[in-house]
Amino acid sequence: MTAAALARTTGAELRRAAGEARGAWSPAAWVAVAALALGLLVPFLGLPGLRMDALASTVYLAVAATGLGLTVGAAGLPSLGAGAFVAIGAFTSALLMARAGWPLEPAALCGALAALAAGLVSGGVVRLRPAFVAVSTWLLAWLVWLFLFAFPSVSGGSQGLIVPERTLLGLSATPTVHYEAALVLLALSLLAIAAVRHGAFGLELSGLRQHPPLATSLGVPLARRRLGAFAASAAIAGLAGGLSVQLAAVADPAAYDPFLSFKLLVAVLLGGAAATLGPAVGIAALGLIGLVSDPLARLLQLPLERFDTAVAAVLLVFVLALGGDGIIPWLSPWLPRFRRRKPQVTLCYKAGEPAGTKSVLKVEGLTKAFGGVVALDGLSLELAPGETAALVGPNGSGKTTALRLISGAMQPDGGRVLFGGRDLTEAPTRERVRLGIARTLQTTSAFAELTALENVLVGRSVRRHYAGGIRTALATPRARAEEPAARAAALHALAVVGLDRQADVPIPELTSSQRRLVGLAAALATEPHVLLVDEPAAGVGADELEPLARVLAEIGRQGVAVLLVEHNLRLVRLAAERMIVLAAGEVVAEGSVAETGESELVRQAYLGAHRL
Amino acid sequence: MTIALQVLISGLAAGGVYGLFAAGHSLIYRLTGIVNFAFGDLVGLGIFATLLVLAGTSPVTQAGAHEPRFLLALAVGLACCVGASAATYFGLVQPYLGRGSTIGWVAGTVAVAFAIRATIGAIFQRSSYVFPDPLPFHRVGRAGFVGIGGAQVQARAFFVIALALALALGSAWLLERTHFGRALRAVADDGEGARIVGVPVDLFVGLAFGLVGAIAMLAAIAAAPGGAASANTGTLLGLKGLVAALAVRFGPPLYAFAAGLVLGVIEAAIANVHLGGWQLGPAYREVLPVLFVLLLISIWPSREALEERE
Repeated sequence: MTAAALARTTGAELRRAAGEARGAWSPAAWVAVAALALGLLVPFLGLPGLRMDALASTVYLAVAATGLGLTVGAAGLPSLGAGAFVAIGAFTSALLMARAGWPLEPAALCGALAALAAGLVSGGVVRLRPAFVAVSTWLLAWLVWLFLFAFPSVSGGSQGLIVPERTLLGLSATPTVHYEAALVLLALSLLAIAAVRHGAFGLELSGLRQHPPLATSLGVPLARRRLGAFAASAAIAGLAGGLSVQLAAVADPAAYDPFLSFKLLVAVLLGGAAATLGPAVGIAALGLIGLVSDPLARLLQLPLERFDTAVAAVLLVFVLALGGDGIIPWLSPWLPRFRRRKPQVTLCYKAGEPAGTKSVLKVEGLTKAFGGVVALDGLSLELAPGETAALVGPNGSGKTTALRLISGAMQPDGGRVLFGGRDLTEAPTRERVRLGIARTLQTTSAFAELTALENVLVGRSVRRHYAGGIRTALATPRARAEEPAARAAALHALAVVGLDRQADVPIPELTSSQRRLVGLAAALATEPHVLLVDEPAAGVGADELEPLARVLAEIGRQGVAVLLVEHNLRLVRLAAERMIVLAAGEVVAEGSVAETGESELVRQAYLGAHRL
Repeated sequence: MTIALQVLISGLAAGGVYGLFAAGHSLIYRLTGIVNFAFGDLVGLGIFATLLVLAGTSPVTQAGAHEPRFLLALAVGLACCVGASAATYFGLVQPYLGRGSTIGWVAGTVAVAFAIRATIGAIFQRSSYVFPDPLPFHRVGRAGFVGIGGAQVQARAFFVIALALALALGSAWLLERTHFGRALRAVADDGEGARIVGVPVDLFVGLAFGLVGAIAMLAAIAAAPGGAASANTGTLLGLKGLVAALAVRFGPPLYAFAAGLVLGVIEAAIANVHLGGWQLGPAYREVLPVLFVLLLISIWPSREALEERE
């Protein structure tokens, strides 16, 4: 592409983006811009008693807290180590400036990179249960502090590192310049995190937070998404630390003790982890409380050297006791609703072409034992496109285990899973979902904090190509172009299960059978060739069976092979053509539903004395 | 050889205390699925309550330590530790367990930790205190040191090791043989099931919260006269316990105890052992084990610790 053509397309793209921005301009945006402008003007208002350096360092703290909001609020990870990343950024930056004579900007960027690296290395813990995440990040906070005290050659010991004077963006780095820079940084990080939280990345993080097994079964990459959020928080904290350390003029290890991490967490919870703006509001609230409590402590001659420690702890306990939502969520009923306009659906969804007429899924000799108990003993089966087969059998006969092995939630002890002739036995769940094997979970599971449509959109994870955190934060043209297509596909999936009219209804307002259908639609939205459905009729009323069977038949008509695990033989008869009967991990009968259902063998193995 | 023996014994003495903290952490995790971040500080609260009754907030002399007053002080300290631990459980852990809110108990217990630190720091304003010695170890050997195979070892170290082992084995016996212990194991296995068969789950777990604190406190007080005590003492002990418990992924309490012993020896070795002229030195003592365990859990997590798939 020539330079001129590139400039033309870039120009056109910019004009389009500007047009879209004008279209999306809301009252909330005006309020935000006005607030920012007012904030930038504060140093020039000549307010009495205003300490610019304290204000600037508070804004830097708000930047770090805003970053932490992504980890704690969006990803739901209880991080106790945010202060460690601030410290890493601060000392990297301070060392580069004091020992190597670097200017402020590259030194602070290196601080952010060092914090990012630390976040990536320690970020392996995001795969773990929340309790382990809390412990590991707590240890990280202490590790950094212990390190700074054990190695005075790095940290300057109890004196700290003296940071020389520097310029910031060409201006002498006075507290006022720092304040303006910090405020701009805060606005930028708020914008980026809001974009991420409202975009596909945030939706997937939210799904992972609410119901990890469901999200991973839909192909959302748990480790990658959470690590992205964790590392981004670390980098933002590192940048804030790297800049603020020059403002403080000294890098003092005592200022980066684990209490800093706790204070940041308190700010996030106090302001409201669910809102992007929450952490910054929390820092502001803590600052205001400090303005009142410090003179009070002096007045009462309380011997508390760190009065804010006790205040923050008590405040947090108070917030938690009130339900733990924080300031912004409490205020939201009184705030005027700045509702976002829903993007219009413009594209039409096309169902994937069914592949050939031969078998699409082939399972050979799948075996799985738990301890000494053989749950599945050499299961073999084949599915043709558009066929609906039912896997039936008594409790504990290995039906759900079979689905887990086929979907990749569990590794078999032996046997193979072949999809379109390709061996997927070792493939991770996301890869299988991407190729076209989807599964619904046994329990009534949906993401309770999302609407029906948003639930189904989580299922689009594997079909998005531009849903990474950076693309979402910058709202790149491709990431934006992908959104309407994803919504159209999700709406189509909802239409297949007959819930397109309930698209914007929150999950708690749906009936339990409707929630099951939402789960089914989310699995459908992954565009599967093979759909593994685990007990869709559990808890569904008798009069709802026929509509459910019609939905399953419609899915089959679209060329999707369905493997149905079901107890309810009425649904099996209504929906399935073929029946595979399992008992104690082995196939005991297989054939058409009409014949097999009546055979004596099945009656003995499965039905006992009851007639079909 | 001399150095090795010295490292081993002083390491085991420190490790015995770490081990009891680790075992406490792991027992609590297995009972409730939570980690009590205030554990170390709650024990610190007990230690300083003991110190307060024993000697006030003034610099401590040996006087008064042998009198019955010590037992009274110990009783007050234990009561503080057990009471505050149980209160932490009922006030800040149990409500969030029921709600399934992780951030609730994490933030709640950390808040307790910092509140206790702030309180201790406010009352005891010197940077460190000497804990009076209830047992006359300074009369044993040469000013409290005995020679073994050429090595000079604190006589107290043997007492601490013996006490820690006795406490660990005693707790194991409690868990294995008593009604209370069996009930706790049932809760760890299946809390809901235990509730259904009539175990007063909340009461027993609250008691366990207090008891693990009391046990760890006894060992910490036995070891305390060997060094300086500050508001950080309890916190750091809790941290060491956490490191050891995390190393065994909050496995059975006896494993965690063993991991604590190993941690103590490793720390002593890092601080003291020369390898062909190459020595790490005391600066690495605190840092390296934490770094190692952190990398271990980050890079090589065990299957049980992974976010559960279903």
